[in-house]
Amino acid sequence: MSHTAGHLGDSREASLRDSPLREEHEALGARLVDFGGWEMPLSYPVGTLAEHMACRTGAACFDVSHLGTVRLGGKEAFSLLQTNLTNDLAKIAPGQAQYTHLLDDDDGSVLDDIIVWWVSRDRFDVMPNASNTERVRAAIGGEDVTAERAVIAVQGPRARSVVATVSPQAAAVGHFHVATFEWGGLECVAAGTGYTGEDGVEVAIATPAAASFWRAVVAAGAQPAGLGARDTLRLEAGLPLHGHELGPGITPLQAGLGWVVGWDKGPFRGRRPLEAERASGPHRKLKALLSTGRRPPRSGDQVMLRGTAIGEVTSGNYSPVLERGIALGFVPPATGEGEEVDIVIRGGSVAARVVRPPFYKLSVVEETP
Amino acid sequence: MNVPEELFYTSDHEWVRPSESAVRVGITDFAQDSLGDIVFVELPTVGAAVTKGGALSEVESTKSVSEVYAPVSGKVVACNEQLRSAPELLNSDPYGDGWICTIEASDPAELKALLGPEEYRAVIDGQ
Repeated sequence: MSHTAGHLGDSREASLRDSPLREEHEALGARLVDFGGWEMPLSYPVGTLAEHMACRTGAACFDVSHLGTVRLGGKEAFSLLQTNLTNDLAKIAPGQAQYTHLLDDDDGSVLDDIIVWWVSRDRFDVMPNASNTERVRAAIGGEDVTAERAVIAVQGPRARSVVATVSPQAAAVGHFHVATFEWGGLECVAAGTGYTGEDGVEVAIATPAAASFWRAVVAAGAQPAGLGARDTLRLEAGLPLHGHELGPGITPLQAGLGWVVGWDKGPFRGRRPLEAERASGPHRKLKALLSTGRRPPRSGDQVMLRGTAIGEVTSGNYSPVLERGIALGFVPPATGEGEEVDIVIRGGSVAARVVRPPFYKLSVVEETP
Repeated sequence: MNVPEELFYTSDHEWVRPSESAVRVGITDFAQDSLGDIVFVELPTVGAAVTKGGALSEVESTKSVSEVYAPVSGKVVACNEQLRSAPELLNSDPYGDGWICTIEASDPAELKALLGPEEYRAVIDGQ
C-alpha cells in the first residue's frame, strides 16, 4: 500500500511552530501534522467523520492558533486597511468583523483571504492564513501578535450553549460581531465567526490562559476536532480555502466573491485589474459540484461537459452528511445550476451536477444512485 | 497495533490469509490507523489477473488516496462487495469484515516469501 495523493502532510520538519495548546492535543491523543509551518491536530482518536458530525449536530472545538493576528492601532489604521484590503470597512463599525481580501496589485489575484476583527475604535485584529501572515503584515503594517494568544473555534448548533457554561460573555457575541471578555484575569476577544457553515464563536485567548479555556469547553461537551474535519466542514459549506479556490491567478470575481469587493469606496490595492475583469466578465467561475458516487473528487480532477473538458476541481472530498463526493471547481461562467457534468476521478468518469452550496443543506434522498 | 499470528504480511502493509483454494487479502491495522477514516474503496474486478507488487485496489480516506498492491500473483476470484456501501469496515475490522478480495495464487513460492508476524512487527516498529 502506498500514499499517492493528499494535501495534509504528515512529516515533522525542524522549524515547525507549536500551538499554545499542543500539550492538550497530545493528552487527547491527537495525530499532529504540518500545516502552514505549524504542527497542528489533524484528528483525534474518534476520527475525522465523527468530529465532522459532532460539529453538524452538536458542538466541536478547533484549535486554529495557526491563523495569524496582525494588530493595527492608531488613527491611520482604518485608512491603511481601506486602501490595502478589498472590502469596505465603512459598512461595519467597531465591535464587528468583516471578511476581506488582500489582492495582487498587478493582476487582482487573491494573495490572502482575511477576517478583520474591528475590536474597538482604534484597534483592528487582522487574521490572515498561517502561511500568509508575514505577507499581510508587510502590506498593511501593524504588529504580529500571533504568539500572544491561542484561537479556539467552537462551532455547531450547540456551540453557544457550550461556550455559555464557560463564559456567558463570550457566548453572547452576535453573528459577525466582536467583543472583549475576561478569562483567567486576562483580556480576550470573542467573535461570532467561523469556517464550518454552523453558528458558533471564535475566541482569541491570551496564551497563559488558553489551555484552561480549551479544557473548559471540552469538559462542557465540545468534541475536539482537527484540520481534517475543518476541511470537510468548510468544503461541505462551500467555503473557499486559500491555495485551492483562492491564490495566484484567481481573482475574487472568479471565485464568486464579488461581495467582498467594496466598489463604492475609493482606491484599493488591486482595484485596477479587477475593474478590467468586471467590465469584460470573468472567464471562469467557481461552482459547487455534487457527485452521484461516494468516491471523493480531488484537486486537479477534470470536469467534463458532454465529453469536452471545461474545467478543473480545486477541492474535493467526501461529504459525511450527504455520503457523496463533493467538489468546488472552476468552469465557464455560463455553466448553470442543475447542469449535468462528469468529473474524471483517477481515470474513471463519475456523473455530477452543478448545485448551489452549502452542500450539507441539500437533500439527495430522492436521487440516490 | 494488532498483528495476528496466523496471517502473512507485506512490507507495504497488506495482509494475506492463506487457505487451500485461494488467499484472502486486506490491509493491516497499522495501515488503517495511519490512513484515518476510510470513505471509499475501489475494488478489483473479479476475474482480473494481478501481479505481485502491481496495483490491486485503491483506498481513500478524507485526507488521502492510497494504492493497495497485490501481495501475490494470480486471479481475483471474489471481492468484498460490502465495502462499496460500508468502506468503514476497513477501519473497524481490518482483518475480518474489512477484507478486500480473494486471489487464486498462481505461484506458491510467492506465498513463502511473505513476511511472518514477527517480521512485519519489525517493519512497523521502524516507521
